[in-house]
Amino acid sequence: MTDLHATFQMKALSSFFAAQGASDLQVAYTDLADWVQQPAPVVTDWQAVEFSFNRLFVGPKAPIAPLFASVYLEAEPQLMGPSTMRVREIYALAGLRSPLKNQLPEDHISYELDCLRQFTVALNQIPSADEMKAMRDYLLFNHLQRWLPTFIKRVRRAENGHEAILFVVDCLAVWLEREVANGRLPQATH
Amino acid sequence: MNRQPNQRDANRVEQALACPLTRRRFLQGLLATGALAALPGGLLLAQNLLSEEGFGPTFFQGKDAYQTFRNACPRNCYDTCSIVSYVKDGVLQFIEGAPESTFTNGGLCVKGYAYPRRVYSPDRIKYPMRQVGRGSGNWERISWDEALNTIADKILEIKELDGSLLGMALTKYSGNFGITHYGVEGMMSSLGYTTRFVGTPCWPAGIDAQNYDMGNMWCNDPEDMVNSKYIIIWGANPAYCSVHSMKFITEAQRRGAKVVVIDPVFTQTAAKADEYWEVKTSGDGALAMGMARYLLDNNLVDRDWISNNSVGFAEYEAYIKENVTLEWAAEESGIPVEVFTAVAHEFATADPATIWIGYGMQRHVNGGNNVRAIDALVAMTGNVGKVGGGARYGHLYTWGFNYHAMVQSPPEGSVGFVGETGPMGEFASEAETTEASYSDRAVNINKIGQVILDTNDPPIRMLWAANKNVLSQDFDRNKIEKAFEKLEMVVVVDQFFTQTAELADIVLPTTTLFEDWTVNASYWHYWLSINEQAIQPMFEAKSDIEIASALSSVLNSKQPGSCTFPENIDPKEWMEKEFNAGIYELFGIDSWEDLKDGPRKALSGTTAWNDGAFSTPSTKYEFKSELAAEHGHFDVPKFLPGRDAYAPYRLLTPHDKYSIHSQFQNVDWMGDLNPEPYLYINPQLAKEKGLADYDTVRIFNQVGEMQIKVKLTKNVPADALLMYENWYGKKNDYNVNILVDDTSSDMGAYKTGSPGVALHDQFADIEKV
Repeated sequence: MTDLHATFQMKALSSFFAAQGASDLQVAYTDLADWVQQPAPVVTDWQAVEFSFNRLFVGPKAPIAPLFASVYLEAEPQLMGPSTMRVREIYALAGLRSPLKNQLPEDHISYELDCLRQFTVALNQIPSADEMKAMRDYLLFNHLQRWLPTFIKRVRRAENGHEAILFVVDCLAVWLEREVANGRLPQATH
Repeated sequence: MNRQPNQRDANRVEQALACPLTRRRFLQGLLATGALAALPGGLLLAQNLLSEEGFGPTFFQGKDAYQTFRNACPRNCYDTCSIVSYVKDGVLQFIEGAPESTFTNGGLCVKGYAYPRRVYSPDRIKYPMRQVGRGSGNWERISWDEALNTIADKILEIKELDGSLLGMALTKYSGNFGITHYGVEGMMSSLGYTTRFVGTPCWPAGIDAQNYDMGNMWCNDPEDMVNSKYIIIWGANPAYCSVHSMKFITEAQRRGAKVVVIDPVFTQTAAKADEYWEVKTSGDGALAMGMARYLLDNNLVDRDWISNNSVGFAEYEAYIKENVTLEWAAEESGIPVEVFTAVAHEFATADPATIWIGYGMQRHVNGGNNVRAIDALVAMTGNVGKVGGGARYGHLYTWGFNYHAMVQSPPEGSVGFVGETGPMGEFASEAETTEASYSDRAVNINKIGQVILDTNDPPIRMLWAANKNVLSQDFDRNKIEKAFEKLEMVVVVDQFFTQTAELADIVLPTTTLFEDWTVNASYWHYWLSINEQAIQPMFEAKSDIEIASALSSVLNSKQPGSCTFPENIDPKEWMEKEFNAGIYELFGIDSWEDLKDGPRKALSGTTAWNDGAFSTPSTKYEFKSELAAEHGHFDVPKFLPGRDAYAPYRLLTPHDKYSIHSQFQNVDWMGDLNPEPYLYINPQLAKEKGLADYDTVRIFNQVGEMQIKVKLTKNVPADALLMYENWYGKKNDYNVNILVDDTSSDMGAYKTGSPGVALHDQFADIEKV
């Protein structure tokens, strides 16, 4: 998989978890399936995916697997705590900010994947950018790698998770495994 | 370049994040590579690279490093704590009690300290959501626009169908007592004449009792209990429910006062007392009358005070002498004659002496009558109107706000209910402001299930539930669940997914106290607090008045003139509009802005009835109340038996320490402290039933049944079953109101519009599972 593929995959994953409804989910899912080049479960009822998505990630009932890193990284899960602030700082270091500052925590999975994607795209163009690589690796190894496995596990263990969501989470797991294994060198292929 | 991440790179980033100088060097390097210009854009937006905003240590740096805001706990709690909130970079970091308030004295309760965890709980309702199939658990996220359009369409449909909006009902109570939250009632008024669930599940019988006796509910400043020489805490548990009051009680003890606690349960407050009586539940009136008999027999009443300040004592004296004996009182109350006469003697000879009348004590079919008997005990000993004295129940002395948010006019041409005076409430009454030929349709808040089932012409089609968790807190849950089936639309406005939200069609996320402007007073102490917006609302939460305003906008776009609620409001300005000259004078302030420097205490009114000018028709304390008789009650306090048992054991469902009704229990810290609900039973009963700690029992009665683990404790009478009320977070099926019916208490309708509910006059049986 090329970096190009990886970044589009990140974009599709980010969009999927940022979805606000069935149609958003469908678009992101279709994109993801294209980029991972894996057979994805055929979905006929996107509303069912949305119901499952909300049960797992959004609410209104306490979500089974909230989409925020702090839930998995803090000893006492709470949004807007130290781990959220750390991610806010990483964004700021790269001249980035959330458009929903103090409204939606910065450690939302979609923001984090988006940030990593942006770093990867920039490194793809300028492989010698050591500081950018340091930031990218920091976000990947010192942050995402520390919470995504727990998040993935929680989704997989949930009862009645829709197969489409389980597929997306499988893609997330595979992507993370590859990223971590390879250190995602710019220009790298395999 | 290394393929694997190295520690050196990680350290560089850590150092850049932590230190401004290192960060500058890091940024120079980053800029030199041109990589930043290559960032493609996406969900995250570009910001000024040199901005230092957002950087800084997350550990405590001393209070000066934070922005501070003034807040107030708006829950239905005696203490209404004044709060200082500490905010950094727009994030609430921690809170503490405002040091200016001598009542809270810089402290909060365990629940209050957990507030940031409530604001930033991942479990909050984040967005407007619609349930596809009520109770199905299938939710879709919708925009505010879509939610309000759906609601507006339903409102207009009801109006078209019925010719009025009486098919739309509001149930709201004490989820947030901030004054601007009366904007929910205002929203309903601005739509037209609607159905209102009126009354209070909390304290109405006692309110009426005190109104019959004294013309109003008014109590001394709790801080003046330090001056009391004798304190009887009757049916209240401040160690759980008013933690800040405890220090005044213990200070009084230190100064030599005796403290007696009367309660069916050996509470934490009882544990701190000098003497504790395990009274028979609902036998309080008989006990008070027995004490009165002793005082009369021993010439321990204050005849001077009685002749100068009261009417009807001769009738009360005659009733007691003709009907009450010490032995009878002992039998009815379970307290031996020698015990209660000794305390009666001490109480009458201490000066000043006071009784704190708890709300639990009046949640009985004879509750109002019992409060009147206890009031009489305080009055006949001349303890009303004194510093350190008084029959303390509650007050609304400091609640003279404008209720600007509440007072809205119905749209022109609105059709409503004929023949009623409109909804009432203990805090503010819209009835007093309505001068139309139509009114809202007032129905009993404590019988919501029955009311929905019985109400027709037109039926209640749509329910708006705000500041209230109906399914958890209202009575006879099974009946309510059935009644909800009759509703065509249920809208729930809340911060968390309650049992009521579970049965909603639409849930709307609402703000926490830190995300909104309002002003708060207490029904117990005399402090006034401003509540500043300290942080932006998380996710898509809106305040009650913002929701009202947005709904108005949508309605008027569909049908011009269909809603009078202002469409553009500034919550801060609306908070300002609640103040008036009377409030400023009472608290000695020139402007609400003075409250930014801290809460202020009322300059007067802290010794209730000290001028002897009672608000009764006679302007005296009325041992005999013609008004009470007109309302179908006894003219003088007389013995009224409690409810007949319909099952072998008394079921008690009092307040817990870690929650206020169904609020807070779902916050993780409360869950850690109190992870599981139990049924508490006496070891004697456990032995009879063959039960040990943590055995599971089936508890059942004529209302419903559930299964629960037992814990053994001598704190509970042998003939009682005790379960703390509330919703246990993720153990969402726990609900004591599966076992509590909606039988009314004797009083409450006079001042609050509906009688209270006899929620401690409940019975049940258990069997081992």
